[in-house]
Amino acid sequence: MDMLKNIILTAFTAVFAENIIFSGALGTSTLIIVSRNRKNLLGFGLSVTYITALMSVITYFLNKALRIDENSYIYTPLVYIIILGAVYILTLLCLWRFAPAVFRRMKKYIHISAFNCAVLGALFLISERCETLGEYFIHGLGIGLGFVLAVYLTAIVYDRLYSEKAPYSFRGYPLLLIYIGILGMAFWGLSGHTLKF
Amino acid sequence: MSNDNNNSLKKIMLNGLLNKNPILVSGMVIAPVIVLANNFKNAVMLVIAFSLITFFTLLVSSFVPKSIVYTIRIILYTLIGALVYVPSVILLNYFMPEGVEAIGIFFPLFITNSFIVTRSESIFFLETKGKMFLDIVFCILGYDAAVLIFAALREILASGTIGGKMTGMPASFRVFEHPFGGFIMLGLFAALFRSILLLIKRVRQK
Repeated sequence: MDMLKNIILTAFTAVFAENIIFSGALGTSTLIIVSRNRKNLLGFGLSVTYITALMSVITYFLNKALRIDENSYIYTPLVYIIILGAVYILTLLCLWRFAPAVFRRMKKYIHISAFNCAVLGALFLISERCETLGEYFIHGLGIGLGFVLAVYLTAIVYDRLYSEKAPYSFRGYPLLLIYIGILGMAFWGLSGHTLKF
Repeated sequence: MSNDNNNSLKKIMLNGLLNKNPILVSGMVIAPVIVLANNFKNAVMLVIAFSLITFFTLLVSSFVPKSIVYTIRIILYTLIGALVYVPSVILLNYFMPEGVEAIGIFFPLFITNSFIVTRSESIFFLETKGKMFLDIVFCILGYDAAVLIFAALREILASGTIGGKMTGMPASFRVFEHPFGGFIMLGLFAALFRSILLLIKRVRQK
């Protein structure tokens, strides 16, 4: 029962209370690039989730070796990038071999879903916050799903943010930032924080 | 010929600094700005780390042959970024250990910034080497200037200080210290910047 409670709590924290976009801003530039293109947003979000979840499991084992050396912070990003590169190539090969239609749809943006601040940042955050393999995986999955949620919440208002009815100075990018900020404030309040004036 | 060169240089300079400013117009590499640029000291550290990693990574990456498939090229760019990070973190840790600690995980995250992952292939590496060099320099300068001005204003508004020193502001708005406050303030800042650019354009047309 305690384990189930922990899983739900960890997932809730990663998706809502500490959403990677709304509270950490990690991957915001990627979100902006993707929302501009507006093609297969869900597919993009899910590929970020897949890579984050898979990489979080691999990171658990990597960190066991890396934490032996106190100067490992110097080369940890290099190790993460090498492994991320290998996962990226293997994923592309698997898609090309077993799901060619998906491969054709995703090949244009899968590199952005693998190499971005959301994925790399998630690995560093998980390394700081988690201890067990289960926590690593649930947190990685939760961060990915949090990214999907952020992409979805952005996509549903995209037309309004970029509408010609909006004043020119605010249209598009500035309104998008203000919108994410207001949502971020709501998520922050949801996790029980209050503002001190 | 010389006039053409001058115009081209002017265009590259204006694009990097103003018209296509990476933060205020294009929305690139904004995560560290939203989270950490709530005081001037952090902002100085951010721009040093960003400039070092982005400049040297793009410079070295521009020599990666185009004959290598795109899938591998992207991995190579980020690998070069991770290699550039090694001397950068050692150097900055030696001279500014507190600064490196203050920016935390955002330092290594510059390895996968949008300049390196997306803009490199779509803009920088399509240009001639000379143009590319200037474009990178002015984009980085545009980014740095915007971050420093934004962080200074944010610090004044959020805590009534600048670089930790009191400014005598009658009121402060702590909300701007938080990431969501950063989003809202950057949105307002980008809108103000767009208005100023529009005003300049109108004045020039008259």
